[in-house]
Parts: sequence; structure tokens; C-alpha cells
Amino acid sequence: MHISDGILSAPVLAAGFAGTVALAAITLRKMDMDEVPKVSVITSVFFVASLIHVPLGPSSVHLLLLGLVGVVLGIRAFPAIMLGVILQTILFGHGGVTVIGVNSVMLGGGGLFAYFVWQQRHRFSFKKNEAIFGALAGASGILASGIILSISLVTTGEHFFATAAYTFAAHIPVAIIEAIVVGACASFLVKVKPDALAGQRMPLVATHAAVASNEIK
Amino acid sequence: MPLDIDRFAHLESSIQRWDPRIKIFSLGLFVFSVAIIQTLPIALLALGVALYFLRLSGLPLDFVSHSMKFIIFFLLPFFIIMPLSYPSSSDMHYHLWGLTLAIEGLRLATLIFIKAVAIVLTTFAMFGSSRFDVSMIALQHLRVPKMLIQMLLFSYRYTFVFMEEMRRMQIAMRVRGFVLRSDMKTLKTIGNFVGTLLVRSFERSERVYKAMLSKGYQGELHSTVTFSADNSDYVKCALVLVTAVAILTLDFSGLFTAASVGWY
Repeated sequence: MHISDGILSAPVLAAGFAGTVALAAITLRKMDMDEVPKVSVITSVFFVASLIHVPLGPSSVHLLLLGLVGVVLGIRAFPAIMLGVILQTILFGHGGVTVIGVNSVMLGGGGLFAYFVWQQRHRFSFKKNEAIFGALAGASGILASGIILSISLVTTGEHFFATAAYTFAAHIPVAIIEAIVVGACASFLVKVKPDALAGQRMPLVATHAAVASNEIK
Repeated sequence: MPLDIDRFAHLESSIQRWDPRIKIFSLGLFVFSVAIIQTLPIALLALGVALYFLRLSGLPLDFVSHSMKFIIFFLLPFFIIMPLSYPSSSDMHYHLWGLTLAIEGLRLATLIFIKAVAIVLTTFAMFGSSRFDVSMIALQHLRVPKMLIQMLLFSYRYTFVFMEEMRRMQIAMRVRGFVLRSDMKTLKTIGNFVGTLLVRSFERSERVYKAMLSKGYQGELHSTVTFSADNSDYVKCALVLVTAVAILTLDFSGLFTAASVGWY
């Protein structure tokens, strides 16, 4: 679900790079030295996980897991996804050098939006809170990046109007698949390693200091 | 899918001998100039130049063609979507089984296809001809932030580790009788699979970070790679830049019409 070289117009490509620089500057603020290996390790996990193909009727789709990056890394999801995009360009030539900006904004924006949705779980207390909001985050990550992709196509020219509509429609089945996968994964992580989740509040038995430090994460 | 782009970086060629800093700078500018081409003949010319770069780099064709298959597969839908969806203002369209096919759409799809192939081929010549870490340090010399370079190096290294980890876990699942299907159970299992992969890699990254700290890591990577540029490096740079400027000048000169208007 990324865009390839040679499609978008120069102003859209430039806007993509400008947006990437701005978002990277915001999301990399106050990043500690010990976060560098962590973010990069998560980047490669998602890179590898995106090679998993899920059968869908006669064809298959590969996982993107944008929502899960947001659920695990919070706002650091943006640099992680940007790294993934750059790595993919260098390793496969896939996507391409000129669209690194647009693709980072599109996919990284999806990750950030998913984190926003994921954080809304603190307002509710359903029985399966993490599974529900994990699923919502999984779906909204894909849909948000689909919307950004459609916008970049439409702003390139009116002849891409129909292409944008088809592309967005193609995101919907992927969003459903990702919702189930990310929901299952979030409820798995909350049982197995809750401190791996972004913005997770520890139970009340934790000390005040521990709660405070987890808030910052 | 092979991931090691630098598998053939040892091959001797004029692109391989080129100073990586200057190579990435010049070929990078060439790629951006290709991206804004609007006319078909010039796009073909750029494709020819890209093929020439690839030939100079001496990379085996089957290494490149393997990745090209994915890109071509990705671009093929454009040949169907664009002719069907182009808002045809002129009379230049055909009717086939009740569908309207606009010739402008076909031209645009061809342009997109040629440009994308040219850019990907150049990227191969650019990053396939030096070791990955050398390319990254070259990028650092080109003012790419240090932190980004470090993260790219880490991620690249760990991609192979986790591929291996994932392969082992997949074998373990198959042994226990797991089959991929299009159902809820498969998706939930995959969710747990990704979760396990995450937990394992989180813990591994913590161990690795502690090991790095104990070896004196203070937020910087030191490298023994040094670069030296001589006249031939600058001559190659000048040749590529002149080609890029020539391509863009021809494209904007009005000698050829844009792909949305005509074939040539």
C-alpha cells in the first residue's frame, strides 16, 4: 500500500519531504540514547512481519501492521515507519527514492493516528478493552494512510480521481484483516508483556514513581 | 526474498570504484530528474541511461530481475485503471465491451511504468555496488543525521536476525499442524505470532543494548571506513549531472509533447 515512483507530481513529492522532515523533527524530540536501538529493532520486526502473507480468497495480502507500530511505540512510530520506508527503498528499490517523503507521511501518519485511537482506551473500561482498541487502532492506521494516499493522488491531478477511489476501496479489506490481527496481538501483549505497549498504565499496586515513569513512556 | 542488496558489492566495476559519497549524490540527483519527466521519448532515453548504469555496475541480471518482477506486478494495474478512469475530453477513446478506454490514460500509464523502472534500476546501481555500511557512512557524509544512519544500520542488521527467528517460529507452527486459511482463527494466530516475535525481539534488544553499553557505547558508532575522491570521481559526477540536466532541458524544451497530450 505504498506509492511508486513516477506517478506523483513534483509539488506533491516536495510536500511529502517537507512533511516528513517536520513530523520526524517533532516525533524525535527528547529521544534518549537508549531508545535508538529499541526503535530500530522494532523497525526490523515490522519489516520482517510485513513479509507475512495472509490468504484472502483467491489472492493474498501482506500485513502492514501500521496500527501495531503505533500501539507499541507511541509517537516514535513515525521515525520507525520512516526507517522502514527508507530501508525498503534501499533493499528492494520498491517505492523508490523520490517517494520516500510521501510514503513516510502516508504510512507514518497512519501509525500516529492509530496511536491516537489506541490512547482513547483510557476513557473506556470494556471487558476486552485492549482487544477492542487494538482492533480499532489496527483498522484506523490502514484507513488513515489510505486517506493520505488518496489525497496525494487527487492533488496530483484530476485524472487520478478514479485511481484514488479504487485504491482507497482496496484498503478496506486490509483494514479488516489488520483489525483482527492487531486486536489479537494487543490482547496477547497486555497479558504477556504489558510494558511493551505504548501509554500503558500500570495497575494500582505499582509505586507512584513507576507510574510516573510509565506515563512519560 | 533476498534482502542483502550488497551481495554483489565485491564485483569490480567503474561504478563500484566510484567514491560512494559522490556516487549517491550524483545518481540521487539523476533519479529526481527522472521523476519529473513528462514526455515519453525522454522517459525512454532515461530508461536507456539507467540500463547503461546497471550494465556499468556489472550486477548480475537475475539479481535485479527478481526484484523487478514485484515492481512490474505492482505497476500493471495502472495499465487497466488509467485508461478506464482518465476523463477523456477529446475523441481519442475506444469502446471495448461497453467500456470507454481513453488513449491518454494508456500513455500516462506507460510513462509512469518507464519512469519507475528507470528509477529502480538506477537505485540498484547506486546501492548494489557498495557494502551497505559503506553506503550508510557515505550518506552520513552527505549530511544525513547521524541518529538516522545508526538506526538504519541497526535495523538492517536485525532484519536478518528476525527473518531467521520468524522462519524458526513458522516451522514450529507447521510442525504443530498450523495451516494458513482465510478465517478468523488464522488471523488471531498470526496476531499472537507477531506478539511473540515482538516480545522476543524486545528482550533481545535489551540484552544487546546492555552489551553495547558494557563495550563503551555512548551514542556514536565509530567506523574505519575512509573515503578519498580523485579526479575520475568528479568526472563521473559531472557526466551524470550533465546527462540529468540534458534530459530535463529536452523534456521542457517543447520538442516533444507531454504524455497527457501525445505520444511524442
